[in-house]
Amino acid sequence: MPVLEVRHLRKSFGAVNAVEDISFTVEAGEVFTIIGPNGAGKTTTLEMIEGLQVPDSGQIEFGELSWVKNSEQIKTSIGVQPQSSALFDLLTVEENLDLFATFYPKSKPASEVLEMINLTDQRNKQVRKLSGGQKQRLAIGLAMINDPILIFLDEPTTGLDPQARRNIWDIILKLKALGKTTILTTHYMEEAEKLSDRVCIVDQGKVVTLDTPAALIDRLTQEREVRLTFIDGAEAAIETEKIAQTQSAVVRTSRDGDALQLWTTQPEETLYEVFGFTKGRGFRVEQISIREMSLEDVFIAFTGKEWRD
Amino acid sequence: MNSMKQFSKMFSAQIKMMFREKQVWFWNIFFPVILMVLFMVIFGGGSSESFKAKIAIVDSQPNAASAMLLEQLQQIPVFKWESEQPVTLEAGNRLVEKQDIDALIILPETESATTIKLVVNKADEQGATTQAVSGILDQFIQQANWTAAGATPTFSLAKTSISSGADDLNYADFLLTGMIGLSVAQGGLFGMVGLVEMRRNGLMKRLRMTPARMGLYGLAGMLVKLLLGIVQIIILTLIGVFGFGANLHINIFSLVIAFLAGGLVFNAMGYLFSSFSKSIEAYMGMSNIASMLMMFLSGVFFPLESLPTWLQPVTQMLPLTYFVEGMRDGLIYNSGIASGAFWAGIGVMVIWGVVSFLVGSQVYKAKSVSDAQ
Repeated sequence: MPVLEVRHLRKSFGAVNAVEDISFTVEAGEVFTIIGPNGAGKTTTLEMIEGLQVPDSGQIEFGELSWVKNSEQIKTSIGVQPQSSALFDLLTVEENLDLFATFYPKSKPASEVLEMINLTDQRNKQVRKLSGGQKQRLAIGLAMINDPILIFLDEPTTGLDPQARRNIWDIILKLKALGKTTILTTHYMEEAEKLSDRVCIVDQGKVVTLDTPAALIDRLTQEREVRLTFIDGAEAAIETEKIAQTQSAVVRTSRDGDALQLWTTQPEETLYEVFGFTKGRGFRVEQISIREMSLEDVFIAFTGKEWRD
Repeated sequence: MNSMKQFSKMFSAQIKMMFREKQVWFWNIFFPVILMVLFMVIFGGGSSESFKAKIAIVDSQPNAASAMLLEQLQQIPVFKWESEQPVTLEAGNRLVEKQDIDALIILPETESATTIKLVVNKADEQGATTQAVSGILDQFIQQANWTAAGATPTFSLAKTSISSGADDLNYADFLLTGMIGLSVAQGGLFGMVGLVEMRRNGLMKRLRMTPARMGLYGLAGMLVKLLLGIVQIIILTLIGVFGFGANLHINIFSLVIAFLAGGLVFNAMGYLFSSFSKSIEAYMGMSNIASMLMMFLSGVFFPLESLPTWLQPVTQMLPLTYFVEGMRDGLIYNSGIASGAFWAGIGVMVIWGVVSFLVGSQVYKAKSVSDAQ
């Protein structure tokens, strides 16, 4: 059952079309990630869904609810962690949670949320004395204080060190285990690949592609890059390259000294043939690798843009 | 949803935030106290009892008449003598030149001569001390003349002073109430800095994504600011009364009404400034200009009458003028709420407050639309 359905969203500011045509459906219990280059329309899309902006056209439906008729109900059933961790700096962690709790008709006990975001020891610390990662965790805590059905996490790990990022991933996975639906945006491909059930790539105000990370990678062209290096030096590499080029699956090759690169649509088949040849000739292979395709390749393939990391 | 619970949480949260912010303490409590103490020390000591003019006397040809004048001059309490004995003319002139004394009095040189000369430094010629010395001397000579003529004056002057309210009004009272007015006003003008900060760091947007009642939040903030105002009044009053001998004659009704009107108008003005400000610097700049202008044009430190006439219409438009007046009505004049002038002043404040609030809200509304981009 979809928790959120977005159809043909459109929004322009003056002459700039921030969002041209965005549609997607978010299913209950999934982590749905939106990625895209800067200025792709991610933030505008999120803000329209969060009710901060009114779309020029298109529909946003939370099950039966829509912003026009049910804004109070929607607000009580969503939780938002905005990009700038907007917190009351002069209040303590627990005071922030308590204050936000009173905004909602029902809320989780603060102690439970503190446990989830692992800030129980810092509960009496003022926010201004927290580290960046702790602030971000509190912002996520505030997004779940009302026990929402749908949680928005807008770049929750940007600017954090690897350990702090991993702490946030843990929270996202815990939320998923609780059956919450999460809409995530991120700068980190690794993160999108690790956490998301489905990834939606947005560019120039449109949805470019949408699927599970694995399916997206699969959908990429079937050529895989195979690298081989030889102990027996450049001669072995030259010989092997010649053999490889006779294979129909091999699209192209490239050689640099004793290092050989092959691009093949059937890596298994090609390697079988190549090893048969090297074994027969007694060439010893030093290293072999098949480069894995990542979401980053998907991103580059679909948007034609380098990913900034 | 339990509004009462939400309101009380918002209120206690804002109280905590206010008292945890050192800036609040500095600008709302410490700064007004320092300012008041400075003004009290600099200007508060100028009452007539302590007025002293330092003089010297030249009696070049001592004779019976000069001896009599000398003796009588020595009776005048406000003259402080440079030396017990008369000085020579040269020495006296030097003292005047070096401004070691305020005035040099030269007694008549012969018994038949009748002119008493007063010598002052050119720089002090228009000064209050010179005026006073010359006035005292004038009177003294007149007295001497009558005595010489064997007449008694028909009229005499008996001096008493009256203040607008209580008998014992002095500068300490005036300044104390002015400072109270100013610091409550500044509390309001500068007090919306939190609102600017909330918009800058995205908290305002964040709250709009919750079902929180922003009206309640604003109301709670207003109440917190009124509370701060009461703290200011109490602290400044205690210092004024016990440190500088200010006398209070409190009329609680006019005090409360003037205080509430002031709370409204200056918070509303702060709100208006905050609506225009993208940064804290911009907000502080606007508040500073408004506060500086009003500080000197609203009779905080000195009576309005001491300002040039052409400025009077300006002062009569400023809300702080009426707020300070209201504070004086309530704290030292003990004037009740029956006076028409009091209500006219409240009216001016309310108009300023309501207009500022309405304009501010409109700007915020327009901004929240454009902010979204």
